[in-house]
Amino acid sequence: MSRLQGPNSLKRKRPGSTSDSLTEHERTVHDVIQSKQDMGMSQRDMKREINLPDNLVTKCLKSLLSKNLIKEVKNIQSRGRKHFISVEFEPSTEITGGAWYVEGSLDTEYINVLKEQCWRKIYGLKVATLEGVTDAIKRSNVSQVELSKQQIEEIVKALVLDNEVMEVKSSGTGEFASIPVGKVCYKCIGKRGYGGEPKVGALASIPCGVCPQISHCTPDGIISPKTCVYYQKWLDF
Amino acid sequence: MVTHYGIKYTVNLITTHFGDLVAKVCECLLRKGPLTLRVIVRFTELTSSQVKNSLLVLIQHNCVQAFILEQSGDDGDGAKLNTQYIALFNNIIHRWRFPKFLTIVSQKLDKQCVELLEALLLHGRLTLKQMTDPAKSGQNEGNSFIIPWDDLILDAVLEAFIKLLNAHFIERCPASEPVLRKPTEEASARRRGPKSAKILKEKETLEQRVLEAAAPSKALRFLLVTQTEPADGGKDESNSSSMTPGEKRKHDALESESECGATDEQVVLWRANFEELIRRLRHKFCTENVKAHLDDGAIIVLGAMLEATRSAEKKVKTENSVPLSLNSIYEKVIKNEEGRNITFDRLRASLVQLSCPPFVKAVNESYSIDFKKIIELAQNEEVESIVLKRYGRDAYRMFRLLSNTDCLLETDKIADATFVEKKDTPKILFKLWKDDYLHMEKLQLTGVRQSQFLLWRVNKDTLREHVLDEMFHAALNLSQRVAYELEQEKELLNIPQDKRVNRLRKVRLLWESSQMKLDDAIMLFHDF
Repeated sequence: MSRLQGPNSLKRKRPGSTSDSLTEHERTVHDVIQSKQDMGMSQRDMKREINLPDNLVTKCLKSLLSKNLIKEVKNIQSRGRKHFISVEFEPSTEITGGAWYVEGSLDTEYINVLKEQCWRKIYGLKVATLEGVTDAIKRSNVSQVELSKQQIEEIVKALVLDNEVMEVKSSGTGEFASIPVGKVCYKCIGKRGYGGEPKVGALASIPCGVCPQISHCTPDGIISPKTCVYYQKWLDF
Repeated sequence: MVTHYGIKYTVNLITTHFGDLVAKVCECLLRKGPLTLRVIVRFTELTSSQVKNSLLVLIQHNCVQAFILEQSGDDGDGAKLNTQYIALFNNIIHRWRFPKFLTIVSQKLDKQCVELLEALLLHGRLTLKQMTDPAKSGQNEGNSFIIPWDDLILDAVLEAFIKLLNAHFIERCPASEPVLRKPTEEASARRRGPKSAKILKEKETLEQRVLEAAAPSKALRFLLVTQTEPADGGKDESNSSSMTPGEKRKHDALESESECGATDEQVVLWRANFEELIRRLRHKFCTENVKAHLDDGAIIVLGAMLEATRSAEKKVKTENSVPLSLNSIYEKVIKNEEGRNITFDRLRASLVQLSCPPFVKAVNESYSIDFKKIIELAQNEEVESIVLKRYGRDAYRMFRLLSNTDCLLETDKIADATFVEKKDTPKILFKLWKDDYLHMEKLQLTGVRQSQFLLWRVNKDTLREHVLDEMFHAALNLSQRVAYELEQEKELLNIPQDKRVNRLRKVRLLWESSQMKLDDAIMLFHDF
């Protein structure tokens, strides 16, 4: 799982071949790509900025790639289109998607493993601060790459959105006795284990509650309670 | 909140209970607002007699209130008085809840009280005489209002009546046609505001004004005055056990309200007090909701606090209970059988538990129940459950993010926070927006290159009304489907009867439990 990237700084690496061997057109293309720094650009963007025919631009790009002056990266905003960046830069998170993306896609498996591990640490601690969870995750060596406190916070906040964990403020008493008053901390919700479904509401427990067509449903219309297939299934004893 | 499907649902209810004619009159009032008899006749195209009889039925069952609105007369001939009729949406939907009201009473009082309340619910309103005199009232004249308790003596019925009255489960009926004076110039100036808000406020104000004008005074609402005849035949007035010392002037007020020489038994009508019954259901709901999150000790403490502060609540939708000190709470807790073994330390620990989530607030060593928070959390859970089941887990996370944040968020920010692919996020958000679960705004940035950003938020007030309307729609659909199933069963003669009966029974059970559960959710969004 070693696909976590470092901090988003504009790192400059030692460039490849010198620019002396470039043709005028290649230099033009290279310069415009370099000017975009860590954002890079696609061939379509280049067309807007430099007035060169497509086939010439394509040829220049091939040459620059082979000379190791530019590299191709995945842009999560337009995965089907090729995106180029000068070799001395690391692509910005706007292009890559950030720490949780690999090859332009969200690393769902890694995220889910981390979420479960964070939940287990919070469950074990009963009440946990962010620092507590971060330390526990680091000690457990769950991830091959080092995770920052901010990254752990993103995972824990996702657990809050999943309704697996709740965010509370310490009162300084009872179960919060060891935590300063007012500090944000986290507790597991209710009595269910990780991944358990929250209680189903009243409307959600009948066919109308989950029906995507409810706004089109009328008593004597084409979609109606009498003709409803969801009701048919629900009452199929 | 009277929503589109709310009206359809209530009309369906009235049709089921009272038939098409009465339902037509009721629908007219619900859709058009307060009207006079003449105008109702014109809109419904029924005869005057049909409309009058329908109104009588609706008034008898507390679904409509008559009132007289004072209006300036034409040509300087003084104020004109016209009787108008207003439909009481809340009371109509309470009709589905009668079994729940009876359950509440059965948990507090004895069987006779339950049966007496059932009679009141069944017949809408009764005098004490009608309730306690089966031999004289019903059988000979063919208008018996009393359920057949052959072996129930008069005193037992009166005792049950007084118990119900003291617990505020029943009340005096409101005045039949209160007069609403024209609002003064000053009152009108106070209500000036944006036009739409003014119209809404005026509508609410009119119904509220009618109900306030019709309501009996606080002193009389739960007061029973009886009249006994001494041996010499002259009349002597005595008070019931409900009357406390020093209420002579209230008794005089009663005399001025009732006909000369008549007593409560003869003229005063009594009915179920929906306000108290809904309050009890609200408290019950809060307790059960908290039970899902916390342990038994916390529930006992919460129950004790509810019991101690219930009578001080001025309205059903109270936001916070009256603050109680630790000692007061403890005294109440140990009075109950379940709380007898709870120590002071355990009480403190339970109160800390109840503060997270904040079901109970502590201010300066006093504790009060935060009803508003409990109800809000429950409403959020209900809506989130719909989003999860209908749109999936990614949508659920997004919805919770926007609901908790309560401000506009940009699409990519939502994608990052919820760990959803950036290219998939807009599709999910659009689906929620199209079905009115989200509000969307476009932000256009002009510069070197034009960019458009989409911003999203949850508008809680609008959403609440929308979800409530969906609930009414679903409740109506449930009723219609069950009616359809019953019709179909009659035609399925090729299926063995026992199988048909068995299936019908299962359908009915499922329908009843779903209807009750859905009605709990409707109360959560509308009544609590």
